[in-house]
Amino acid sequence: MSRRPRHPWLRPAANIGLIAVLLIALSFLPPDNSLAEVQENGVLKLCVPESYPPLVQADEDSPGFDVELAGLIAQEIGVRLVVNVMPSIGRDFNPRNWRLTRGQCNIIAGGVADTVQTQGFLQTLPTLAETGWVGISLDGSLPARGSSWAVWPGTSGLDRLALSRWLRENDVKARLVSSPTELRALLDRGEIDGAITERFAASATGIDNGKYQVFWLPPESFERFRMALGLWKGDQTLYRAVRAALKKLDYKVKNIGSEYGLVYNFRVTSEQLAAKNFTCGLALTT
Amino acid sequence: MANIVSVENVRASYGGTVALDGVSLEIEEGSSFALLGPNGAGKTTLMNILCTLRAPQDGRVLVAGHDVVRAPRLARRSIGVVFQTSSLDDRLTARENLNFHGLVHGLAPKRRRFHIERVLELVGLQDWQDEIVRTFSGGMRRRLEIARALMHEPRILFLDEPTVGLDAQTRQQIWEYLDQLRTERKITILTTTHYIEEVEDADVVCIIDRGKIIAQGSPEALKAEHGRRWVQADVTHAEARKAILAQFPEARPLGARSIVAPAESIEADYLQTEPFKDKLTEIRYREPTLESVFLSLTGRDLRDRTDGEREAQMAEGRRGGRR
Amino acid sequence: MNEAIGAVRGVYGVWLREITRATRDRGQMIGGVSRPIIWLLILGVGLNPYFRGEVYGQVAYVVPYTYLQFLFPAVIVLNIMYTSIQFAVSMIWDREFGFLREVLVSPMPRSLILLGKVLGGATVATTHGGLVLLLARFADVTLSFGEMAAALGFMFLLAFGLTSFGIILAARVRSFEGFGVFSNTLILPLYFASSSIFPLDPSLTRTQAVTSYPEWLVFLTRANPMTYAVDALRGILIDFNQFPTVLGPAIVLGMAVIFFVIALIDFNRT
Repeated sequence: MSRRPRHPWLRPAANIGLIAVLLIALSFLPPDNSLAEVQENGVLKLCVPESYPPLVQADEDSPGFDVELAGLIAQEIGVRLVVNVMPSIGRDFNPRNWRLTRGQCNIIAGGVADTVQTQGFLQTLPTLAETGWVGISLDGSLPARGSSWAVWPGTSGLDRLALSRWLRENDVKARLVSSPTELRALLDRGEIDGAITERFAASATGIDNGKYQVFWLPPESFERFRMALGLWKGDQTLYRAVRAALKKLDYKVKNIGSEYGLVYNFRVTSEQLAAKNFTCGLALTT
Repeated sequence: MANIVSVENVRASYGGTVALDGVSLEIEEGSSFALLGPNGAGKTTLMNILCTLRAPQDGRVLVAGHDVVRAPRLARRSIGVVFQTSSLDDRLTARENLNFHGLVHGLAPKRRRFHIERVLELVGLQDWQDEIVRTFSGGMRRRLEIARALMHEPRILFLDEPTVGLDAQTRQQIWEYLDQLRTERKITILTTTHYIEEVEDADVVCIIDRGKIIAQGSPEALKAEHGRRWVQADVTHAEARKAILAQFPEARPLGARSIVAPAESIEADYLQTEPFKDKLTEIRYREPTLESVFLSLTGRDLRDRTDGEREAQMAEGRRGGRR
Repeated sequence: MNEAIGAVRGVYGVWLREITRATRDRGQMIGGVSRPIIWLLILGVGLNPYFRGEVYGQVAYVVPYTYLQFLFPAVIVLNIMYTSIQFAVSMIWDREFGFLREVLVSPMPRSLILLGKVLGGATVATTHGGLVLLLARFADVTLSFGEMAAALGFMFLLAFGLTSFGIILAARVRSFEGFGVFSNTLILPLYFASSSIFPLDPSLTRTQAVTSYPEWLVFLTRANPMTYAVDALRGILIDFNQFPTVLGPAIVLGMAVIFFVIALIDFNRT
């Protein structure tokens, strides 16, 4: 008696299943041919500045974390890495004037911070390096009220407005300098109580690590950003290939990272910072 | 016995046209009540008021003891309705249509299943239960609609022209179901129709015309009271028509071609003589039926007026079925 | 108590019927699948090179996502808009072919009948919107389960409001054919003027002011409630809001409530 009406539902269910399979299958279509081009030419082009230690270094044995990373990625994709050193990178505040084109670069690295501003132009793949504003001083303490500090903002696109606001609020006399060399000179001459700059810019100053302590500015006032590899927007297939390679290479990448002194655990460090009222020193090179 | 439906002095109009003009009637529980009248008489309007789709402008209507204006939802619990045009969802299967009805009437799953089987068996559609209604014939649809109206065990069944557009055999079959129901379940049935032969078995026939009830009673009582034997003569010749009408004061024109007169007032033999002899196409006697009751009361024929409209309705039904 | 169970059954019944009908309506299903394919796969890929920039720092619109990611939430909204507003056809169907009377003579209160219908239409529309999510991989939109649930919840709310809107239209349109033309002339302008396929509003990002559009077009975009629906869905799916985060959900919730109330007033009048 109780015949269950089965077949009226069977077909719609099959239809929906079919649609789902079709859509999922379609989602595997390549949306562009950026990866295909790279594979066809057999070359992955990486654009980097002249120097951005330790991410990019003018040293053949240790060319920098980003360059080695790109090498591994190229290997993974099965092509050769070509590093295009672009001295124009960082010369100007406006990246448009760096004149990096899609023809020259598949990936831009060495000083690309994963900020919203960068994402306006590039798709980013964060690496394990992290950047933010750091302070440099003899005793590793935060600027005292009324003290005088040198500031070199660097080029990686951190929020300068937030920094100047913070300096004003804390009643710190800021002295804007135009190069890392000038910053170091001021420090060494003792004309200032300390210096504030971007993390990797600090390592570019070449200051004496035994003498000075480098530390993050308070994390509740300043966001920190991961450094990233930048790919052109819309180069989806290449982006996916690089992302997949990074995931696969995770272990190797960490090893290289620790060689360049990037894999200290900054989480622990920030906890330590919190415990010591943000004044704990932080070694940037080993 | 108690009255299950009570209508008091109901008025309704569409725009400026009066559809119901002070209608009052009572229906006894368990009886079969037929509303007879030509299309446009106000039958469907009255039906819509009874099943709470429309509020009367004046008057009071009680269905199963509930005022249809003040407590329409209570009234709806006691009624099952079969509308003049199909109200099935023809993209669903028969069973899904019934299940839907059970759900909106709040039946529990077990009762729903039980009643679906019961009514499907009643109308003999078990083998078709999983078919999409779009593939059904007019008769099957009607049977399914009747089955659906009975699913929640209503006390009253309203049927608006239940057999319109169906062939004689299907009509017969549907009336068999309905009679069976009345005897088995003591259900009250209110039908509207313009098929005279379908109301002969009703307990009470109510004749409605132009928004007014003009006669009410058992078919026998109505025939006894208003039924007369009529002579109908079909005359094509206009002169002859005039002559006959002039000669017999009780004769009256019927439609464009006929003349009717009470049998006792006219000598049929006389019409067969000169000067009428060749002008008449047909002469016949009409025995006292409910149809002649209608004729006596209104001077119009029930059937002539409705045939054309019925065809229009059938066409509409077909159109509806195609979607 | 019994009353409440009965009411739930009734709403379920009306809902179930809409779902059943939708699964048998092949045309609607094909529309639900072909729209995202056309918009995302063809339009999205086709316009991609024009939005990507050839020189670092030089793109026409500066937003922190790719064009496909930007388009993706809008295509979901489009699919929901079509299915929801076209739902009105079901309402006209019921009215024209008499099925409505069957429901109206049942003991269900009208508000619950309408609720069941709107829930049914919204479920179908949400499903059609959800189908687009299957293409997330293509657009490089990564979704966690939480985001997926939030997106579906938001889509349902939007579909509820738009379905009610469709029913309001249905009460004012007589024929099926008329409605087809009507809905197309309504849906597409609403869609195009919602910052959906081009970022029409300079407030999208600060740098976006570079590409500025005439004031009247910006005004249209700002006045269009769909702009805020698209924006809220972008917030959920690609973490980007051009307006305050609460604004989108608030407007969509407001739409759902107001349109349902108007639809109910209409429905009580029939």
